[in-house]
Amino acid sequence: MEPLTVPATLEELEVLADFVIQAARTAGLEKKPAYRLRLAVDEIATNIVTHGYQEMGLTGDITIYADMDEHSLTITLEDSAVPYNPLEEEEVTPEELHKPLEQRELGGLGIFLTLRGVDRFTYERMANINRNLFTMRRPPQSQPVGDAKPQE
Amino acid sequence: MALTVNIENKGKEAFITLAGQLDSAAAPSFRDAVDQVFAQPEKPEKLIIIMNDLEYMASAGLRCLVFAKQKAGATVPIVLSGVTEEVYETIEMTGFHHSVEIVENYASNA
Repeated sequence: MEPLTVPATLEELEVLADFVIQAARTAGLEKKPAYRLRLAVDEIATNIVTHGYQEMGLTGDITIYADMDEHSLTITLEDSAVPYNPLEEEEVTPEELHKPLEQRELGGLGIFLTLRGVDRFTYERMANINRNLFTMRRPPQSQPVGDAKPQE
Repeated sequence: MALTVNIENKGKEAFITLAGQLDSAAAPSFRDAVDQVFAQPEKPEKLIIIMNDLEYMASAGLRCLVFAKQKAGATVPIVLSGVTEEVYETIEMTGFHHSVEIVENYASNA
């Protein structure tokens, strides 16, 4: 799939979601892993828009890439906002997850869902670019949708 | 893709029906609905959130549920009805199922 660049606003995030859904389908991911990947990318993209750009008074873009080999699908988000490493956020503790809702902290759940949902998550800072990588294993012998060739 | 939010009152029960995609851009409309439900002169005794057609919920939606629970207080239960498997996975992973009632199909007592 060709990479896609969108303005970094919450309203544009559904375009990224569509991209991920399409990539997951092409990679032959099952329904639940595909949903978890979409959730992970959406959560991190939301943080990029709000913490990386808007709270800093910045505007900019997010670019999304899909890379696939026979074993895995990797979605990459790139932005030029302030350095923001999701892995440096404080982890949600098991105690927090057992608290009644009215006593919950509001932050951290998005990153928790991201890290629990994908097979591998990586963050890199390259020059002035943040790069977030989300990798999912592909099911064995998955055929891209639209490829009608029977498997020998 | 978008979120549709509907509010309905039946006796002492308030219903919010969510359909579509509850992402961070859509969350404010769910939050507004919660606000509206608890701003009524007669506070409902139960809030039922119908989720059969809710295809997606991000953590922004979870934060709305926290907000709803805070508004509702300890005595007003929150029921999630018809939660899809994928949305339920998120609710369970984050421990929210301890604080709300989850039912397949809510049968009103009103």
